[in-house]
Amino acid sequence: MANEPILDVRNVYKSFGKVYALEDTSLRVYPHEIVGVVGENGAGKTTLMKTLVGVHSPDKGEWYHNGIRVPFPKDPKDAARKGISIVYQERGVVPSLQVYQFLFLGNEEKYIGKFGLQIPKMKNAAKEILDEFHIKCNIEDFMFDLPLSTQKMIEIAKAVLNIRLEQNKENADSVIILDEPTAPLNIEERNELLDEIVRLKKHSSFVFVTHIMQEVIEYMDRVIVLRDGRQVAEYDMATNKVTEKELVRMIVGKDVEEQYQSSRPKNYIEQSGNALSAINLSKNGSYYDVSFNLYKAECLGFWGSAGSGKSELIKTIAGIKGYDDGCLMIQGKKTKNRELPHTRLRKGIGYFSGETVNELFYDWPITKNISILNIEKIVTRFIHLLKFKAEKAMAAGIVEQLRIRTPNTVTAISSLSGGNKQKVTVGKWLERKPDILLLEDPTIGIDVGARDDIYKTILDMKSQGISMILVSDDPKEYSTLCDRIVLMQQGKAERTILKEQLNEVIQA
Amino acid sequence: MSTASRERKPNFFYNIAKNYPVVVIFIVLVILFSILYHERFLSPANLTATLRQFVTLILFSIGPTFVMLLGSMDQSFIGIWMLGSALLWILTPILGPISLLVFPLFGIASGLLIGLIHVKLRVPSFILTLSVLIVYWGLTVIIVQGNPRIVPGYEFLTADFIPFIPTPFLYSIVIILLAVFIVKRTKLGTYFYAIGSNEEGARLAGIDVGKYKIVAFTLSGFFSGIGSIVLFQHLGGTVPVSFSMNNVVRPLIAIILGGTPLSGGRGGPQRTILGALTFSVIYRGLYLSALDAEVIDLIVGLILIVSIVISSRGGELRGVEIA
Repeated sequence: MANEPILDVRNVYKSFGKVYALEDTSLRVYPHEIVGVVGENGAGKTTLMKTLVGVHSPDKGEWYHNGIRVPFPKDPKDAARKGISIVYQERGVVPSLQVYQFLFLGNEEKYIGKFGLQIPKMKNAAKEILDEFHIKCNIEDFMFDLPLSTQKMIEIAKAVLNIRLEQNKENADSVIILDEPTAPLNIEERNELLDEIVRLKKHSSFVFVTHIMQEVIEYMDRVIVLRDGRQVAEYDMATNKVTEKELVRMIVGKDVEEQYQSSRPKNYIEQSGNALSAINLSKNGSYYDVSFNLYKAECLGFWGSAGSGKSELIKTIAGIKGYDDGCLMIQGKKTKNRELPHTRLRKGIGYFSGETVNELFYDWPITKNISILNIEKIVTRFIHLLKFKAEKAMAAGIVEQLRIRTPNTVTAISSLSGGNKQKVTVGKWLERKPDILLLEDPTIGIDVGARDDIYKTILDMKSQGISMILVSDDPKEYSTLCDRIVLMQQGKAERTILKEQLNEVIQA
Repeated sequence: MSTASRERKPNFFYNIAKNYPVVVIFIVLVILFSILYHERFLSPANLTATLRQFVTLILFSIGPTFVMLLGSMDQSFIGIWMLGSALLWILTPILGPISLLVFPLFGIASGLLIGLIHVKLRVPSFILTLSVLIVYWGLTVIIVQGNPRIVPGYEFLTADFIPFIPTPFLYSIVIILLAVFIVKRTKLGTYFYAIGSNEEGARLAGIDVGKYKIVAFTLSGFFSGIGSIVLFQHLGGTVPVSFSMNNVVRPLIAIILGGTPLSGGRGGPQRTILGALTFSVIYRGLYLSALDAEVIDLIVGLILIVSIVISSRGGELRGVEIA
């Protein structure tokens, strides 16, 4: 590793009002390395990254370039001139553009000729970049046609390109900040992307924000841990191999219980009766001839890669999508091919995903977000007048039970942290108590502490007799929540295993 | 003074200004016009005229407010008033005063139809209700053969019983209260806000979005119908045959100026009251000036643009965030 860092910021302070979001944090990035940044939501990762790309300006702090102190960047363009660029977690891609158009988006002025844009020149440059980064796609492909991992790679290439164009140098030193790049990906895509990033180290350095400990341990060269705005630990993975447990302990600041209540014996579950069953359920292009039984008070997982049909299957059960053939029975009663979520909810099926943007009403208070799903409980009998006191009491109960960190129950959702937002989503279902609860990526993108609380709540609901179906990309989630797991591959349900067998299957 | 109360006071006014910018506009305008035309603006005659203007605006805009809460658009209200009046002209000689019920009944039928077409056939509401409006206008002109027919016998509707307060204003208070009650205190209202704020979330929360959209259009038709009973006499007691864009645009300004954005999810009838009041003051202020009618129209158009900008600015921009 070269000894001259290409990014060197020291003792950064940043406050919002009276609260310090960053206190005395430093970050150094050397050429050709990947630096992991981990921490709970609200630990200051966001603020640090935004400071590096010039979105926030720090209260105090020093930025050194080749040993000389320089000012912090004023805006993202200025940051690119200093060699820093960011790839955001989502919404960075413009789906309707072709690959070469997207690559030069915002930098078209470098390719203006006498007769408008010099399209052939842009295409050649785009081709070179794709070759350089080993991205397997055509420059004329539309972004929306490409797999998510390829889209991410193109975004990374765009970020490097951006720095080169800003500095007008072919081989500019660059630091690319990746904000949870693997969050929307499944396990294969994830590994593929991480391998690619490791390969890209010869072109650029990376700052890698993530919640997934495995990625840190397997792929990072160095990792820094932030807690409450301060850097609490730094590990050089080459010399100081850190364990996952140790990392989690540094992130949370205490030991997290690894043990959850174990699942029930199989025979007990089968005796308790059927909550949901499917016979030869098919949806063209997604899954075929899927049959399974979901018993009462059981959690059934569907495991498989993206494209295995697991996501479409859970959405079909939720009523978000329809099915083409076969039979789906709720409590022994047949359903129609296409029933909307409100019909399924009336039949006792609730669905929630970790995508809180879809699930929650961000500008509403906690009270309303919980009562919207439980409105029957807080209205008068005849003309459905709202009882505001009951609404407040209901929300207060959930806030206490789930330990949601909030000043009060009328705080708007948008001002809560990611983990607490997700707790509100879980809380509304806890209040609703459906017969069957469908979980799709229930803890995606949230920190270890909140995840722990959510698992406990979900397991609690299960022990109260609620049946569950889980679809996720995290093997640990399956072993924590599920009793049995259906393995899916290319739209077919291959076989059903007990949760203890999952590790063997994954490693095989 | 204790520090607590010193901190509270500016907060209170700041919050009003931030959440209800229209209140600030209203106060500024009243002061401005009172100084500019000090005798005339605060004269009883002008105050009565302002109230009359307010009644027209609020009764036309209450119905569409429901639909706009959901993020859709309803421009058919003028059509309900026009075609309803034409139906009243036909029915009065046969049924007598009970014919007035034709307004709410026609409103409900019209709203239901629009809602069904909008939801089942997925026609965008803006263009759908505009087409419906033009159809109703055409039908009106055909029915009355192009003449603004007088329908006598309904003068009692607007007969004064409190000096300087137009009687329609009293009716409109009742109608407003009913609308505010629906959105603020019932399950229906909560669902309307939910759909306007996050349609996908509403669907996932088990709300039958299609059904409640139809309900909103039906309610809009109903309130436009109820309003038209009063407005029919309030605006002259004749069947209107000439179509004026102003009648469509001004109530929409009242809604948007009040704080219900085109994207829905916020605002509601209680805010439309503020919008209607403010626009009435603006309009009377312009009317008292020496400006030509065309110039006033131009200014009104600019006000619409400005109020759309203000209303869309209020919502938090969902920018890119780092986790």
